[in-house]
Amino acid sequence: MSDPYRVLGVPVTADDQAIRAAYLALIRDCPPERDRRRFERVRTAYEAIAGARGRLAHALFDKTVPTPEDVLAALEADFKPHPVDERHLRRVLGAK
Amino acid sequence: MSRKAKQPKAQAKSLAPHVRESAALAADAAAALGASRYKDATELYKELVKRESRPDWVEGLAASYAGRAHELADKGMIKEALVLWRNRTQLCGKPLAEGPYLGWLLQAGEQGEMSRLLADASLPDAARAELEMHLAAAMLAAPANALPGLPADSALLRHLPAAQAALAAYCRGDFAALEAQLSAIPFRSPYRDLKPLLKALALLQSDVEAARTAIARLSVGGGFERLAAALRAAVLPDGGWLAALSDLDEGSQQLVLDIKGCPNAVRPLLLELAKLGDAPVAALLFDVLTRHRRSIPANAFAELCLRLLPHLGKRLKSNADFRKLPQEQRLHVLALADELQGTLESANAHWGEMMELLSAHPDQKLRIALILRHLAALGRRNRMEEGVDGGAFEYLKRSLEFDPEDRDATLTVIGVLRSDNDLVQARAYLDKALLRFPKDAKVLLEAVEVALAGKAFKKAVGLAKQVLELDPINPQVRGLIGQALFSHARKQIKAHNPVAARKELDAAEEWLKSPTERAMLKLLRALVAEEQRDAGHPLLLREAMADFGVPLVGAFHLLLEAGKVGSNPKALLLKAEGNLASTPSTDAVVALAHALNAVPEGEKALGAALEPLRAMLKRAAKLKFAEADHLLVCEALQRIEEDELLAVYAKAALKRWPGRPVFIYLDVVARYGSCYYDIPDRVLYMLDDIVDDARAQGDHRTAARIRALLSPPPDDDFMDDDDDELFGMPFPDMKGGFDPFGGLPADPRTMLELVVAMEGEKALFEMVRQTLGKKVLDDLKKQSGGNKPDFIGRLIDMLVKGAPPNYLPDADAASPVKRPQPRKLPAPAPENQKELFDE
Repeated sequence: MSDPYRVLGVPVTADDQAIRAAYLALIRDCPPERDRRRFERVRTAYEAIAGARGRLAHALFDKTVPTPEDVLAALEADFKPHPVDERHLRRVLGAK
Repeated sequence: MSRKAKQPKAQAKSLAPHVRESAALAADAAAALGASRYKDATELYKELVKRESRPDWVEGLAASYAGRAHELADKGMIKEALVLWRNRTQLCGKPLAEGPYLGWLLQAGEQGEMSRLLADASLPDAARAELEMHLAAAMLAAPANALPGLPADSALLRHLPAAQAALAAYCRGDFAALEAQLSAIPFRSPYRDLKPLLKALALLQSDVEAARTAIARLSVGGGFERLAAALRAAVLPDGGWLAALSDLDEGSQQLVLDIKGCPNAVRPLLLELAKLGDAPVAALLFDVLTRHRRSIPANAFAELCLRLLPHLGKRLKSNADFRKLPQEQRLHVLALADELQGTLESANAHWGEMMELLSAHPDQKLRIALILRHLAALGRRNRMEEGVDGGAFEYLKRSLEFDPEDRDATLTVIGVLRSDNDLVQARAYLDKALLRFPKDAKVLLEAVEVALAGKAFKKAVGLAKQVLELDPINPQVRGLIGQALFSHARKQIKAHNPVAARKELDAAEEWLKSPTERAMLKLLRALVAEEQRDAGHPLLLREAMADFGVPLVGAFHLLLEAGKVGSNPKALLLKAEGNLASTPSTDAVVALAHALNAVPEGEKALGAALEPLRAMLKRAAKLKFAEADHLLVCEALQRIEEDELLAVYAKAALKRWPGRPVFIYLDVVARYGSCYYDIPDRVLYMLDDIVDDARAQGDHRTAARIRALLSPPPDDDFMDDDDDELFGMPFPDMKGGFDPFGGLPADPRTMLELVVAMEGEKALFEMVRQTLGKKVLDDLKKQSGGNKPDFIGRLIDMLVKGAPPNYLPDADAASPVKRPQPRKLPAPAPENQKELFDE
């Protein structure tokens, strides 16, 4: 299972209300008939951390190996998207 | 290549082409071309064309060159392919810029040749357009004089300023100017693919979904393919773009990282992560993270490492980061690492130490409760069993002291107490649960079960109706109400009160829907009619038996119900014209096994009900059952502890499937019971040998059952609620494994005698009551005839053997297995024994 906080897009400090709101927003965007796999992923994540007991149990007993995406999620706060550097763009266009 | 295919080549080589007849040579050339031996075909056709430039030979030579060039290109030898293609033009007069030539030029990066081709006025329009499109991207990147000799009216030159301006506008973030410059690029321009790409790049700042849609519309290939590929990677949802980086070249990787706004400092880390794939080995990921720890925020680094540390295996304890952790976190990591390695005793010990540390902090009660519940679940998973054993039960009970708000744990504890017939404690927990969760259907349903176990049928019906108010379609509670009314009706029949029994059955009618339940209703009505001396009752009995569908199942239910209401089973069966002479079919025996599985454990009337069927069931053991059905029957017999029949069926199964571990196990259990000390050594060694066979056959359940039989787990058999060594303290000391005997002698008899000596007789009585039930205790009390030492001796004998002795009238009701069963009411002690025992 991927990091449920990352799947739901909430911080580890999120409370019940924030987690439920994130869950509802995600399943509204991605109902099961559109993308079953993603829906299941979101639901599994929600079930894992819904409620204080669930969050604490997750913190205590989760043994899943973090993925590179989990690492990325930890770094993304510092990303600042902006138009691409012209030199890089020309380099890609001109490469053989 | 086959020997047959090689033959013409050998012939061709046997005589030099220039000395052979043209006709023979032409035939060989055509054969070589037909067999895709382009190199040979080229040589032969070249010789033929040298002699005479016949059109068919020239065509053959052109086809041979083309075929060979394709072969080389497929092997990645693009430059060699281009040479052959040019030979084809030179010797056969074929146009150069056709077919795969332009594509190969692009792959080879021969931009000079491309611009020379563009300057060639004879180049067909379609080829020119394709070439221009391929060159457009390079034009944008190249200096102004990179492609000399292009005609001034070339679209590449005419549209270049607008494309350059659009590129510059995007790069400085001037999206309005970008829009204007892109609109100046015509639809048929070689730069047309640049338009959606730059639009998508601009959209990435504001609307990723729209950018994704724009990119999806682009066809694969063309001069802008590298930029398109980078963009396709950049718009992948979630972190998918990171994994896609590894498929891109270095320039495209940097472009994607630019698009994402990734700071330069973390780029090396991300590129290494991309190489690891979606699910990297934990140790590799750990190494990458520690190498780049300065690029990761400290909190995130600590959190990620804590998740990775349990997966480091042997490296864990020598890891510097691990050694620096506070003791509580170290224990946490060690417990998880133990679980991952399957060393559960060590995991238990580490969890135990961690709980001890946590217990110093009053705000950590919930964590302690969760760990205790985790330990309960862990033991269950390890034994591959669904039920709650004694150890798990104690963990759960203890967890409720730290966190009484957990409904599921509360219900599990109540369920175990109910199945243990400890209804006093069950009701105490239930009362608290009803206060906490007054409108919870599951809690009310458990209340129904507890009321039924206490034979409070009216109360059970009332509670069940409350459940139905909350959950009107709950099928379980409907069945429970029906069963409660059935039980009450049986009680009335037994008390010779048929009118009241009929009333109960009338009330049950609305709750019972399944065919079996309806058949049971009819059977009980027949018994009421029999009680009332109604002349029609034999007919009713026959109808009820027929309603069960299978005569054997009907006969079984009739015998069972007769036993429950105190009628004569055999007489009733005669009236119902039940046939016990013929051997039942395999289907009938399987149906009976299902019926047996539906009987609650500990049903007292079961043995008597099976007695008249025993002979026919023994005969049926020789029938050709399917293996799964045979196993089903054996498992049903094991469940009700019908060892005699189980031995017959297990033996029959071993004749048909010799060496099958599950049947060997069942045969042993049938012959010796489940007590380790009753099984001869040679049988234990044999069982030890077949554990591996079971595992090899994928039968892990049997392997686990045999393992449990070989080394009886130190579970609840000798545990006591009041045992301070284990549960009186905040946490059992689990260092070095869980040893409930705490170093006492391994011989169980000596150990039990020590218990009596140190803890007193009451401790022994309580132990028996917990493990075998109060009924067994009372029965033994009667058997000992008031002789206390004899009584204690019998108790110890029984505990050593692990089961009540056969001379007890109700031995099979005393199963130590904790499953829901009707409450066993203790028989009143004889007058002369009443004062003897505290119990």
